[in-house]
Amino acid sequence: MRHRLFSSLAGCILAGLVLPCTASADALADIRKTGKMLWGGDQEGGGPYVFPIESNPSQVTGFEVDFANRIGEYLKVKAEFTQGQWDKMPDMLRTEKIHAIINGYELTRERAEIMDATIPYYVYALQLMGRRDNPRIDSWASLRKSAGWARVKIGVLNGSAAEAYARTYCGGLCDVVSYDGNTDTMREVETGKLDATIEDTPIASFYAPRFGALRRIEKPVQRGYYVIYVKKGETALLQALNEAIVLMVRNGDLERIYRRYGIWDEQQAELAGIAGSGRFYGYFRATDVKVERNQMPTEESVRVDTRKRGWQIVRDYSGILIQSAGMTVVLSCISFPLAILVGLMIAIGRLYGRSWLRLPLTAYVEFLRGTPVMLQLYFIFFFLPEIGVKVPAFWTAILGLAINYSAYESEIYRAGLQAIPKGQMEAALSLGMSRVLALRRIIVPQAVRIVIPPVVNDFIALFKDTSVCSVVTIVELTKRFSVLSMSTQATVELMGMTAMLYLAMSYPMSIASRRIEKRLGLEQQA
Amino acid sequence: MITIANLVKRFGRTEILKGISFEVRKGEVHSIIGPSGGGKSTFLRCINGLEPFQGGEIRVGDRVLTPATGARSDARLLEGVRRQVGFVFQQFNLFPHLTVLENVIEAPIQVLKLKRSDAIGRAERLLARVGLEAKHRAYPRDLSGGQQQRVAIARALVMEPAAILFDEPTSALDPVMAGEILSLMENLAKDGQTMIVVTHSMGFARNVASQVHVFADGYDVESGPPSTVFGDPRHATTKSFLSQIAKD
Repeated sequence: MRHRLFSSLAGCILAGLVLPCTASADALADIRKTGKMLWGGDQEGGGPYVFPIESNPSQVTGFEVDFANRIGEYLKVKAEFTQGQWDKMPDMLRTEKIHAIINGYELTRERAEIMDATIPYYVYALQLMGRRDNPRIDSWASLRKSAGWARVKIGVLNGSAAEAYARTYCGGLCDVVSYDGNTDTMREVETGKLDATIEDTPIASFYAPRFGALRRIEKPVQRGYYVIYVKKGETALLQALNEAIVLMVRNGDLERIYRRYGIWDEQQAELAGIAGSGRFYGYFRATDVKVERNQMPTEESVRVDTRKRGWQIVRDYSGILIQSAGMTVVLSCISFPLAILVGLMIAIGRLYGRSWLRLPLTAYVEFLRGTPVMLQLYFIFFFLPEIGVKVPAFWTAILGLAINYSAYESEIYRAGLQAIPKGQMEAALSLGMSRVLALRRIIVPQAVRIVIPPVVNDFIALFKDTSVCSVVTIVELTKRFSVLSMSTQATVELMGMTAMLYLAMSYPMSIASRRIEKRLGLEQQA
Repeated sequence: MITIANLVKRFGRTEILKGISFEVRKGEVHSIIGPSGGGKSTFLRCINGLEPFQGGEIRVGDRVLTPATGARSDARLLEGVRRQVGFVFQQFNLFPHLTVLENVIEAPIQVLKLKRSDAIGRAERLLARVGLEAKHRAYPRDLSGGQQQRVAIARALVMEPAAILFDEPTSALDPVMAGEILSLMENLAKDGQTMIVVTHSMGFARNVASQVHVFADGYDVESGPPSTVFGDPRHATTKSFLSQIAKD
């Protein structure tokens, strides 16, 4: 029950008033000084929240983009979208990489304990959806009937309020399947793998035209609120955001934005009431400000009723995918040489170094090999800032991958070095060479030749492992694939293109390594 | 030139060398013979510092190795000793990733800091001397065992060491190749090269060596000119070893 929602807003207002202010940094002052409000979201979440623009997929659009931009206008600053992993948003907030989270974050008790929440900017509910041609699923109650068939299968977004609700509602009478993408479940219902899905109302409304085979069943249930979260204790920023939201509710800005995306519904009427009772916050001054009516269109203008397919996908998205593959190449090609260098040093230290060096080096290798690279990246990106070390996302990725792979490379080199007969070192020493010279000229060059195949193997693995860097906000090939596949639903085409790109990166490596092996192989002892 | 005094070497609790002393003067050829396990190879490896030892001392020129000499702490001292004393291994130990010529010029360039052209000049002379002038660009794996050992000897000679230690240089070779290596070593001896040779070749010990030592159970049980040791062995071990050899 991670997402137990508040039954009423009063609870939240109370919570907001009671919880003490802890942080001292003033985010609002920072925003005004830099002229930029950094707001976090994950474009992988897809429409209508934050998703790539069809004609220019490196840019984002969505009702939350419009919403954030409008807030920026009220604060007289530029609102800047910052990509990050959806579930890592609170960490980005904590480490001050963003000023605010605007990404379909529901108001929950757990979140309100660690962050400060504004008043809601959207009232969502859970919409049950099924296939038009499936009479069996026609009501909430029908979910619990198995009636001789297998139990009903319901798809939900992993970790969402819908998931929590579905599990409670089913209570063992139906199967709940969790998915990582918002629209995955709708596609699965369409193809018949699932019987029903429960979606937040914005998703159900926005994607309804694209999934023509689906229908909405009964009225939405279990109302909840999307709120902006800021760092705990940022009262000035919280107040400014609340004022802006109240203004936007009153002057119709929100309605216009939501109508653009076709997600304005009767539930949003509650927003006006909330804005009214917002006087409790002490920002009544905002309600007196006169605002000119804005020029936004009132009808739906952002629509996604056609689904692109086949060559059209290839034509429209190969550019952005290749660009993201570039990030994958850059990450791999900078971090791997570092990993090799560090790995070789560690291996030499463990085999030939002074005895006091060996324990810490062994510990280094065991620790880094024994923990996931994702956690290591997470540590660098989200923990080091706590002790004052701020590493930018790109260098976090480089550093994390290099350190992690150095542990693996050091083991490969250790094996390679150990495979060199003892007589080689003795022969070198007997010629008057120092140990360092003997290592450099005689031992290491031989070891390097031996380990080419496993090292190239790791390099190829690294190309694919760079995808973990999305936890530290890097968008590389796999993340780009996820983002595009969520917003276009053209998963098969995009998957094929992504696979081809990875292959195009790794296959030349295999060929090159075989060439090198062949050439050096001539010099190897038979 | 090389003076060994009361050398004691232990592996754990096993005593391999139990107090060995002898002296090698410039131009002498010392041959060490004796049954396997007598400590011959270990003794040789102590002289150029490949093995630490527990008692006595080894003097090479004006450099002194003692039980306190450490592989790391006295690296300079050991390098100095090794520049004076070359070493030829039973298993050749050529560098497989380098060509014949590169094997020979590596140490002169890296250790003696010779110019590459000078090092090549030296190496070419020596490779011609060991009969491998046509094999400069071959890799060790393309050579026969005898050829490899000749490269190894050239590699030791190119450093112009005051003495060369040979550790059973022909044991890994067939009789024909062994014969070639032994005659090469005999030539070196005639040119006045100081050598200590651990060998099973009684012919070499008898005909080339100026001194013969019989090692058994960690002792230098009997030593002297070959005529004395072979003609009139005093020690029981020597007698039984020589009669054993004669039977083969």
